[in-house]
Parts: sequence; C-alpha cells; structure tokens
Amino acid sequence: MDATVFGAWVATGLTLCIFTFLYKDNPLFKLAEHLYVGVSVGYTIVKAYDTVIVHLIVKPIFEQGEIALLIPVAIGMLMLTRYVPKAAWLSRYAFAFIVGVGSGLAIPRTISSFILRQIEDTVRPLLSMAGGDGVTFSMNLLNPSSSINVIIILIGVISVLFYFFFSIEHSGPGKIVARTGVIFLMIAFGAAFGYTVMARMSLLIGRLTDLIEFSDASYGRPTLWLLMVTIGVLIVLSRRSQRKPPQES
Amino acid sequence: MLKIDRRIIFLVIGLCTLLPLLYPVGLPIKISSEVRGVYNHIESLPERSVFFMSFDFDPASKPELHPQAIALLRHAFRKNLRVVTMTLWVTGTGLADQIVTQVAKEMGKENGKDYVFLGWSPGNTAVIINLGQNLYNTFPSDYGGKPTKGLPVLDGVQSLKDVTYMVSLGAGNPGVEAWYVFGKDKYKFEMGGGCTGVMAPGLYPLLRSGQINGLIGGLRGAAEYESLIDQKGKAVAGMDAQSATHVAIIILVIICNLFYFSMRRAARQQSG
Repeated sequence: MDATVFGAWVATGLTLCIFTFLYKDNPLFKLAEHLYVGVSVGYTIVKAYDTVIVHLIVKPIFEQGEIALLIPVAIGMLMLTRYVPKAAWLSRYAFAFIVGVGSGLAIPRTISSFILRQIEDTVRPLLSMAGGDGVTFSMNLLNPSSSINVIIILIGVISVLFYFFFSIEHSGPGKIVARTGVIFLMIAFGAAFGYTVMARMSLLIGRLTDLIEFSDASYGRPTLWLLMVTIGVLIVLSRRSQRKPPQES
Repeated sequence: MLKIDRRIIFLVIGLCTLLPLLYPVGLPIKISSEVRGVYNHIESLPERSVFFMSFDFDPASKPELHPQAIALLRHAFRKNLRVVTMTLWVTGTGLADQIVTQVAKEMGKENGKDYVFLGWSPGNTAVIINLGQNLYNTFPSDYGGKPTKGLPVLDGVQSLKDVTYMVSLGAGNPGVEAWYVFGKDKYKFEMGGGCTGVMAPGLYPLLRSGQINGLIGGLRGAAEYESLIDQKGKAVAGMDAQSATHVAIIILVIICNLFYFSMRRAARQQSG
C-alpha cells in the first residue's frame, strides 16, 4: 500500500474516532485521544534527541572539539539532580541561571514592546495637522488612526482601568465610568468569542475537507468504509452497554 | 427548545459545514486592509530579497495556518524572493518541511539556492535572540543536514538584521508576539503576522500601533490572501461553509434567546 493511501486511511479513521465523541464518550474516542498524546510525546522526544543531543552537543564536541559546550551541558545536567533527593539542591543553581537569564531577557523587551509602545499608541494626538489643511478632526470610524477612534480607545482604556480600580467605591460618576468599562469589556469578549467560534468552525471545515478528499476512489474510499465500521462499532457498544445491569451504588 | 438534545445542534452545524463544501456557492470575499498590508509589502520587495518565514504551529492548527503558509510561499516564490524558513514548534517540524518542499516543487524552486528550511532549534525565544546575533551559530545545518554556511540562498545574510521581511505564522506561544518582542523590536526588520482565529483579537493592538504591518487571521485571512494572489485553494473553498455555519449559529442564538425571554416573562406573569 502506498504511504499516502495508508496515511489517508489512518487520518480518516482517527478523525472519525474523535468525531464519535459528539455522540457520547466511548472507547473509540479514548483510543484516538491516547494515540494523539502518545505520538506527540514520542515525536517530540525523538526530534529533541536528534536536534539537541546529537546535532547540538555530541557532534560539535566530538567532531569539532567545541569543549566550551560542556558548560551548558553541565548546567543542564544539574536539572537531573532533582531525581536524587540528597543532591536535589544542586538543581537550584540551574533554575537560578534559567530564571535569571530568562527574566533579564524578557522584562526589558516586554516593557518596551507592550507597555511603552501601547501607551504611546493610546495617547495619540486627538487633532492632527494634515498638509495645508491646518488642524483637522477626522470622523471616519473605519480608519483605525482617525481622531474619533483615538477618542474611543482613550475612553475604553481609562474606563476599563477604572473598573479594575477597587480602592474607591463605584458609585455616582464613578459608577458611570465603571459601567462604560464593562461595556468595553463585553465588546472585547464578544469579539474574542466570535473569532473563537470562527476558528473552531475552520478546524471542522479542515477535517471535513480531508474526509471529502479521502472519499475518492484513488484512496480506496476510506471515508465511506471507515464511517460504516465506526457506526457499526458504536451500535455494538451501545447494545452492550444496554445489556449490562445497572451498577449498585 | 432550551432542553434540545445537543446532538441535534451538532448535526445542524455538521450539515451546514458539509453541504457548502459539497455544493459550493462561491460567496464574494472582501479583502481586509490587514491582509492587504502583508500582500502589498511582499509585492513591493525587489527580487532576491530575503523573506524569512517561521512556521510556529503544529498539525492541530493545520486547517487555518496551512493555507496561509501555502499562499504566502506561492507569493514569495512568484516574486523570486529568497525564502528562509524555520519553526519554533518541535511538533510542527515535519509539517513545515512538507509545506515548503511541496510549494517549492510546484514553483520549480531549488533547495539551497532559492529557499532553505532550517528546521527546529530548542530554546523558543532564545532562538530568536541567537538568530539576531548569528544565524549560522543557531542553525549550523539545515533540516536536511546540509551546512548553512555557503548556501547561495543565505548569501549576505549573517543574522536577522539582514532580513528584508519576516512573517511568523503563529498558533500560540512562541509565535507572532515572541517574534515581535525578541526579534523585530530588537533587530529592526519589517514584520507581518499570520495567526489562528483565536489569537487574532489579541494581535490587533500590535497592528494598530504599527508594530506589525499586516495580519492574516484564521481561515478567513488565508482565503483573502488566496484571492489576492489569484490562486484559490482550500481556504477559499471553505468560506461558503464558514459563512453557512456562522448564519446557523446566529439563528440558534436568536431562537434560544427568544425562548429564554419568553419563558422568563411567563414565569414572571405566573408569580405576579
């Protein structure tokens, strides 16, 4: 059997097994789920071994004589002392190194990229000088950088920040600002949820597209055959579970 | 209606997805400015510019990011750019290699001369920083084991600073944000992004502030890009189904809300 055809049968079978969960939890779903976890872990281990151990450590040290690589190897090995209770304290040096380097790299870059640049974008000038037109105020909602959108973003940021400011009671004018913040949050959650629904539907479309493709005669029609087998197995499992006497609690 | 068996809803959604895939209508696709941003930038690049792509996803996000990757690579190869690719996701290595090889073969491009797939290297964000310092130390060899030094495709490229344009196709972390924070912000190259639908709302602030110059979001973004390059593929084919399922979900939400409010009113009248 050609590898592509074999792959089509495996992919179709596992997709249908996963889809059976929509009917109810069953052994076919569990089989596909466990296979997915196992294959992912196995693939990661093999790739990590080949790339890290073989290509980045063993070959450079033994073939190119890069002895300096033994330093990161030694630091990495300290991590493994976690498995030896008496020597576990040594792993703290490795963790300290990772936390220190990681924080040192991440904190300045994150502040620069997200906090400073985003604040800069939030407090844009409300009025702009465009060519010889003098001071202008653009009302175009479709243009992200228009003056009206700058005001909306400013109101949104301030009201949401105020909503999460718990040191004073949200009453009177403060209540109006906090409520405005809630409205902005709801719009943001709605947009995020809408995109999430779109993404999940895209995944379904992807699987169904493959199932349609694999129903072709050139693959041996795995979709049709395996669909029949899956439905048959579900019927058998359903009948078996009906025959079982209810368990006493 | 509020006590409807959820399997009926699954069936409705399933049919709304399946039928348009079997019998496509061909609904029009409007191109958004964020997708056009990536397209226009690639279109403006001179021949043999260095186009860097990072496939930061695995097979779980294939339906959304695979069409984006195919469309971007087709565009880049058509423009005769030098395409340098890699992945930060170990589980995406095989898929990324398959995509690059397939499109390069289709466009008649030569490995090592027109394109290279560097593979995966451990360290996530540290890999980006290393690439900014020295590409050859980070990837001494490409995915096929060929030494990267001396490859014609990398001629004149020492680090990320020599990259003309970069696009990260991300399904999570590390992805577009990591490439911006540890790559573009530090080494100053122009950058665009592609992502799954779930991630898109979180990346719009980067787009608005000009930190990235374009964003391809989900299958919809991929369909727009396929339309722009005039090579319609799986993403465009899926748009009818996408629209049909969205209509079905909107109708279900409206119906359920109508029932909910009518039941609430009935309960109030009974108690009053």
